[in-house]
Amino acid sequence: MPSTAGAALPERSRDLRAFAGPVVEWAIWIAVLAWVFWQTQRFDREIAQYAFGAAGWPRALCIAAALGATGQLIYRIAEIRRGRAAVPEAAGPEIAAPESAAPEGQKPGLWQRAKHLPIFIFPLIYLYLVPSVGFYVATPFFILGLLLILEVRTLRALLGVTCVVYGLVLLLFTRFFYVALPVGRIESFYDINNAIIGIARYGM
Amino acid sequence: MEQFLDGTFNLFGDGQAVLIFALGLIGGMLFGAIPGVNMLTLGAVLLPFTITMQPEHAVMLFSVIYCAGVFGGAITAILFNIPGAPENAPTCFDGYPMTMQGRSGKAIGAAVSCSAIGGVASAVLMMSATGLIASWAVRAFGPQEVFALIFFGLAVSASIGAENLWKGWLSVFAGLIIATVGTDPVGGIPRFNEGSFFGLEFSSYYLSAGIHFIPMILGFFAVSEVLTQAMHISKGTRERPKAGLDFPTIAEFLSVRWTMLRSIVIGFFAGILPGIGATLAAFLGYSQAHRWSKKRANFGKGELEGVVASETANNAATGAAMIPLLALGLPGGALTAMIMGIFQIHGMEPGPLIFVNSGDLVWITFAAMFWANLFIILLGWLQTKTVVQILRVPFRWLAPGILLLAVIGAYALRNLFIDVWVMFLAGIVGYLLRRSGYSAAGVVLGLILGKLGESAFSKSMQLMDYNFFGFFERPISALLITLGIAAIIVSIINEIRGADVQKALMD
Repeated sequence: MPSTAGAALPERSRDLRAFAGPVVEWAIWIAVLAWVFWQTQRFDREIAQYAFGAAGWPRALCIAAALGATGQLIYRIAEIRRGRAAVPEAAGPEIAAPESAAPEGQKPGLWQRAKHLPIFIFPLIYLYLVPSVGFYVATPFFILGLLLILEVRTLRALLGVTCVVYGLVLLLFTRFFYVALPVGRIESFYDINNAIIGIARYGM
Repeated sequence: MEQFLDGTFNLFGDGQAVLIFALGLIGGMLFGAIPGVNMLTLGAVLLPFTITMQPEHAVMLFSVIYCAGVFGGAITAILFNIPGAPENAPTCFDGYPMTMQGRSGKAIGAAVSCSAIGGVASAVLMMSATGLIASWAVRAFGPQEVFALIFFGLAVSASIGAENLWKGWLSVFAGLIIATVGTDPVGGIPRFNEGSFFGLEFSSYYLSAGIHFIPMILGFFAVSEVLTQAMHISKGTRERPKAGLDFPTIAEFLSVRWTMLRSIVIGFFAGILPGIGATLAAFLGYSQAHRWSKKRANFGKGELEGVVASETANNAATGAAMIPLLALGLPGGALTAMIMGIFQIHGMEPGPLIFVNSGDLVWITFAAMFWANLFIILLGWLQTKTVVQILRVPFRWLAPGILLLAVIGAYALRNLFIDVWVMFLAGIVGYLLRRSGYSAAGVVLGLILGKLGESAFSKSMQLMDYNFFGFFERPISALLITLGIAAIIVSIINEIRGADVQKALMD
């Protein structure tokens, strides 16, 4: 008897783990949809010529999406109960190719995960800085930083790629197409950005 | 035929017209192929210069840019998983896996040839039946039919790119909900411009303009692809795609002839309808190819038929989009709206009388579109041999350029930095979606069709006095709604029975 109970415990915990994923996913969907539904109160106003008002359509979508999320939960629980194989993580048409290269069965550690953070955070820092320091000042540092994150280490490649990409952007978008890009809010950076635009457009 | 030959002689007998034709063709292909800019960017840049042009040259230039630009977007979709335009998004599904397998040449070759075939067929149909089709489409297609078509389109395309039907639908719903940000289409009441989260109040004036689909597409495809590849580089698992230069063989083309034909019909009819056009055409073409193909299991893993279906359909929509514009003065999209602008700049009014008053203009435009689609084969072949060489450049060198193009493309759209934030956040969300089996393409499809769908629905409800069964009182909307419901029921049954091939393979 004790051996049966001992074997049942890990099985139960495995079952719980199998059910936890779909339930958590469903809970996230419902929480987000409930929040969106709740926010619709802010514009729940009548429109004279339209009976459903401004909030009718988004609310209907929230309800339909909640039904979809619940359908998915029921389907996946039924699937697990039937003992079918758990759905693999990446299998949709568009995801098959890029993700397939990842090695199976290796869970990255905390340090490895932390190493990937700059890939996500660095572009956000760039976006935060551009309105203040301007596109033309921030961009060369962005290119250089991104190359370093992508493990480019040779000085020639770092400088070469930065110069070529930055030069092409200036040539194409500033000189030829006159695309107005942010020039910064801070005065000194504003001047530098405009000087770079002047050089790119008129060569002075 | 005689009018077409006259148009051709007028086009190629005039040096200036030939130069404009060539510039439009090359410019459209280049702008379509550069991520972050597209044919609309080129159109916007060139529009002021059309004041000094002859009207037939100006209209012809924009028509050629339209044909070439729709094809050009396929190149980056195939090589980098970054569609140049929304209508090229389904091309990524099989085009990019083909690149990863070293078959980029075949994928681009198929895109080139099928774009040309779809475009030429569409141009021929356009020339032979513009007046007839336009008057039929306008009489038969009211808001009910537009809503029914969007419903049908979403019903058959919802699961594209997703792990299962439920995730596909949830992705589409997410897109439809995002599309409600901005103002409501009936009363203009601001929606989701302000809100609160755990007691924290937020509001943004810029959100009143809504979330535009271009930054979302750039984020979901370009930014998330860079993030995915960066992660692979960081883990040391990235496989460098091989540059393949082989064109598809005649036998390969013959094996997909029915897919091509089906996509031409789908593309043409979707193209006629204002506002729907090439994007829905490409998704419908792809989903129908997937539905009817003998090689369904290969879809999404590098199946040539997938590239053929979407590229034929989106180019078949180009000629069709000119029909409501020329015959009725109804522009169906941004570029056709620019052509409308050219007519206005030159004091002309498109409509049924344009065939009588400005026959030369119409036929030089038709001829230019026909020849532009044929020239796509030649230029596309050259492009295949040259552009594919980009794959030899290490991705880590290309990544900063791709991200910067995406930043500029998102910002230049409306000169709003919030669009760049939306793009990057969409990129991170897109990266997570790829890992969890949801479909970025589904979100984009919902976002693009959401506003149009809501607008058509609200008009339908007002016209039908809020009677939902009114949709079944008009034959076309009844047919489309019934087919859409049937498609949903069949998909659910297939999903429950596990009959879907993709799912069966996973199991």
